[in-house]
Amino acid sequence: MTILEAQNLVKRYPVGDGQVDALRGVSLAVERGEFVAIMGASGSGKSTLLHLLGGLDKPTSGQVVIDGVNISTLDDEQATLTRRDKTGFVFQFFNLIPLLTVRENVALPFLIGGESVHERRQRVDELLAMVGLTGKADHAPDQLSAGEQQRVALARALATEPALLLADEPTGNLDYTSGGEILDLLWRSCVQLGQTIVLVTHEARAAAYADRVLVVRDGQILDQIDLGRRPDHDPGELLTRLALLGL
Amino acid sequence: MRLSAIAWRSLTARPARTALTGLGVALGVALVAGTLLTADAATRAVSEAAQDLYGEADLRVRAFDDDGLGTESVAAIRVIPGVAISAPLAERRLLLSTQPGPNEQVFTLTAVGVDPASEAALGRPRLTSGVPLDADRPNGALVAAQWAADHRLDLGDELLLTGARLETPPLTIVGLLANSGFGAQAGGSVLLVARDTLNAAFEVPSPVTAVDVAVAEGRMAEVEAGLDRTLTQPFVVETVADAEAAFARAQAGFAGIAFLLGLVALSAGAFLVANTLAMTLSERTREIGLLRAAGTTGRQVRGLVIRQGMALGLLGSALGLPIGIGIGAILVNIVAGTRAALVADLTLSPAVLAFSFGLGLSVTLLAGWVPAAEAARVSPLEALRPTHRPGRGLWIRLRWIVVAELAVVAAGFLLYPLERGAPPIVATLLAVGVLIGGAVATAFLLEPLGRVVGAPFERLFGAQGLLGRANLGRHRARTGLSVAALTVALAAVVTLGTTAASARGTAERWVQSILPGGYAIRLTVASSIDALQDTIEATPGTLSASPVPEFGVVVTTPDGDREAGVAGIDPSVWQDAGALIVVEADRTAAFDALRGGGAVLLPESFATQTGFGTGDLIHLAIPGGAAADFTVAGLVAYSLPGRSGEGALLVSLADARATFGAEQATMWAMVPQLAMGETAYGAVVAEKAAQLAGEALTAAVLAEQLARSLERLLGLFDALALLAVVIGGLGIVNTLSLGVAERTREIAVLRAHGMTVGQVEGMVVTEAAIMGSVGGIVAAAAGVAVTGLLVTLAPRDFAAGLVIPWPLVIAVVLLGLGVACLAGLYPARLAGNRPVLASLKHFE
Repeated sequence: MTILEAQNLVKRYPVGDGQVDALRGVSLAVERGEFVAIMGASGSGKSTLLHLLGGLDKPTSGQVVIDGVNISTLDDEQATLTRRDKTGFVFQFFNLIPLLTVRENVALPFLIGGESVHERRQRVDELLAMVGLTGKADHAPDQLSAGEQQRVALARALATEPALLLADEPTGNLDYTSGGEILDLLWRSCVQLGQTIVLVTHEARAAAYADRVLVVRDGQILDQIDLGRRPDHDPGELLTRLALLGL
Repeated sequence: MRLSAIAWRSLTARPARTALTGLGVALGVALVAGTLLTADAATRAVSEAAQDLYGEADLRVRAFDDDGLGTESVAAIRVIPGVAISAPLAERRLLLSTQPGPNEQVFTLTAVGVDPASEAALGRPRLTSGVPLDADRPNGALVAAQWAADHRLDLGDELLLTGARLETPPLTIVGLLANSGFGAQAGGSVLLVARDTLNAAFEVPSPVTAVDVAVAEGRMAEVEAGLDRTLTQPFVVETVADAEAAFARAQAGFAGIAFLLGLVALSAGAFLVANTLAMTLSERTREIGLLRAAGTTGRQVRGLVIRQGMALGLLGSALGLPIGIGIGAILVNIVAGTRAALVADLTLSPAVLAFSFGLGLSVTLLAGWVPAAEAARVSPLEALRPTHRPGRGLWIRLRWIVVAELAVVAAGFLLYPLERGAPPIVATLLAVGVLIGGAVATAFLLEPLGRVVGAPFERLFGAQGLLGRANLGRHRARTGLSVAALTVALAAVVTLGTTAASARGTAERWVQSILPGGYAIRLTVASSIDALQDTIEATPGTLSASPVPEFGVVVTTPDGDREAGVAGIDPSVWQDAGALIVVEADRTAAFDALRGGGAVLLPESFATQTGFGTGDLIHLAIPGGAAADFTVAGLVAYSLPGRSGEGALLVSLADARATFGAEQATMWAMVPQLAMGETAYGAVVAEKAAQLAGEALTAAVLAEQLARSLERLLGLFDALALLAVVIGGLGIVNTLSLGVAERTREIAVLRAHGMTVGQVEGMVVTEAAIMGSVGGIVAAAAGVAVTGLLVTLAPRDFAAGLVIPWPLVIAVVLLGLGVACLAGLYPARLAGNRPVLASLKHFE
């Protein structure tokens, strides 16, 4: 079942007297429970695509449908509520709220939705256990390592069991080991929980965790590489295909 | 481009914040300038009032006795060698009314009978309109312009004299007195009329209370010697300086409060400026880091920050002066309108304007020095880190601001002319200390108190409440100081209100303690006790009517002779009615001693000034008349008004009559029978007073009048304190705006996770609300503490003790909440309007 569908997305930015086409007619579909990576060089349009898919930005033309809702036509308030209900985000710079504890940060989507930490304690503790931070629930974010902070961010993104998890370079600010841990967690959430994931990255090692890789260049999808679900996450095949594309 | 241009560009790059800071400085300077200009106008008014009162006269020869100076004395003064002009003044209380009809008004005025020709020779009185008194217009009268305006009277209007001879024609208002000189006497309730007219109108001529004398040049000693030689009646010689001192005494409270409020405004302004510059620095840490990395020395960086402070100080101070002049003009108008104090026209005193400007600039520079020094120490590495945070302790950051505050207060004390009637230095210092201490405590209490205050917000608003509360702990010094500025201003409002409430209780206690039974009749002229006794006692429902003769004496004190007023009271009437608060003696024994004769009760203030205590012997003498030694039977907390506004010494009625021959009285204390209701008795006393051409006094009305005049005065300052609250509000706008700017990415993440614009705005407003609530709570405590301190230090002025007006205290907490919420609206809009995507890319 298709959970995310983008049709002919165009994003144009005015620059001086002219304009720049960041996306030029991108279409894609993601099935429920699928792990899709979007790869591309810096400036290729991959992050712009992710923002449109997550409802953080509106396309110049085209449409994005998440779980049956066309978010491209929604006003800001409706788009915000749709994000709250249907998406989760993980960013490169963790973006935890420094004044809240780890547990409160994980519970943030519930708090925003009007629930209390107390009401969703069990769910929050499950998530903390999943990311291996049970013992640090009451710590402040700045007492955690970078990898641990990103794990909290991941738990926060998964809290509401969103239809779609969008991760923007989640390992970009981490060392090799921590990055690997985050990718493992993402993969496990997909495999074990059926979480649909769209990952934006420029690293083949990260993209190799995906079932399918969309290669973006100059605002268009240049190619689609089907890797299938592979527990070894070996990037070899992906690198070969990328080399064939001249990347 | 030179390096210094960066300082200017840095300010212009953020025009909103620069304008806000400049406005904060401007309002602080404006408050100081406005207060000082008003105080200056009040000081000049005192001087002008005394000058106008004397005109060309050099001396006032005042009768010691209430009987006044006799015809022979007046004539004798005129012919003393060296006397160029002599102008006799006759004085009496008058009841007047407008023409009968639906709009009839009745007034009690102090009438001053003058010789028009002598007044003209002395170049007085000063009129705002109309013509002076003239022999051709014998029924002409002059009234104070403000009084006339208050009663909707104007030139040409007629006034009828109650109790005058039947054939007496009405007086016509021919001129309006300036609110100075004669017009400043008796709170403006004064009427000038020709002495002959006054004497012709009534059976009993009005006593000549004083003769004003213009002395020929160089002949002062000759005139003084002539007075001593010629006059057989007791007299006192006064000069324009005495009149000035009397006027100044009457408005010492005004000057004192003006001074205190100036300090409060300065303190609030200093907090705001110091904080804003610290914030500006914090915001520019990264820029400074870049400059340092590029080789800019610490000294150069310090220079940049100080230049910014100077630019803000110049901008704010320059803007503050015209606003301050506007505030001063409004205040002077209000004070003149309410007659809370004497004020002259607003004059743009260069000294005051220079002082305010200099103070604004100095405070800004002083406040800028600390962030400048910090900026010079910024390590390039630390500053360039993505999440640079100040690592220094709260107290270390605050202590320099405390030092700056103390310097501001010290500057205020040094530069403000304290002789203008400022309150005692210890009390003022302590009061300001409590205010600043409270403000600094706010910074420390903000987080723990915010947690408590924030709990209901968290419960009500969920994530907004939680995040709003949590944000308070992000920059404790900065946020704490913003709340501190608001706290100081709110505390001033609480102090003023609590002081008014405490003083109201004291006024009630005072009036009730000096009016046995709560009622009195005051006649316009002293009348024979024996002749009136039966008439007044016949007032329906009266248990007892007791005359209170009043006269002046000379008291021999260890420091020399001094003048004092004495009142004769019937000890039994006053004791039975529970009147007088006797201190330092047994009440029964004190009244027994009074009844026994040869005893006196001293007002506590008189005892403090002279050193007399219970059991001491005190010598009272009427110059040229009776004299006797009295034993001090006790002290009373309050007494009837005596001479020069001081309380009268109280002897028994029998002693007053037998020893001092006081057979006339203007005041009669009226004690109602138990069965009489308040309203009913008030009506019969009023009727009796009207029959006798006198006025009825009731404790409730007098206390209300006293309290109202005090509240009018304090209310005026409330308006100023509220302006300081606005300054505090600006500080919160500034702090929250910076907080929003710093949290751009964090807010974007919240938005990405589904927080709506309304929720983001709510979060910021909630943060503001908690800040305001904490400020209000600390302010309420500090304000009450300041008043408690004043009550402790001046127990005589606040004998009813500390009275806390809870509705006001709650209102101030709500005001803090409201102002902060309003202040939070702009930053909330800023937060809500941040584009999510751009903000996600924001690098702090």
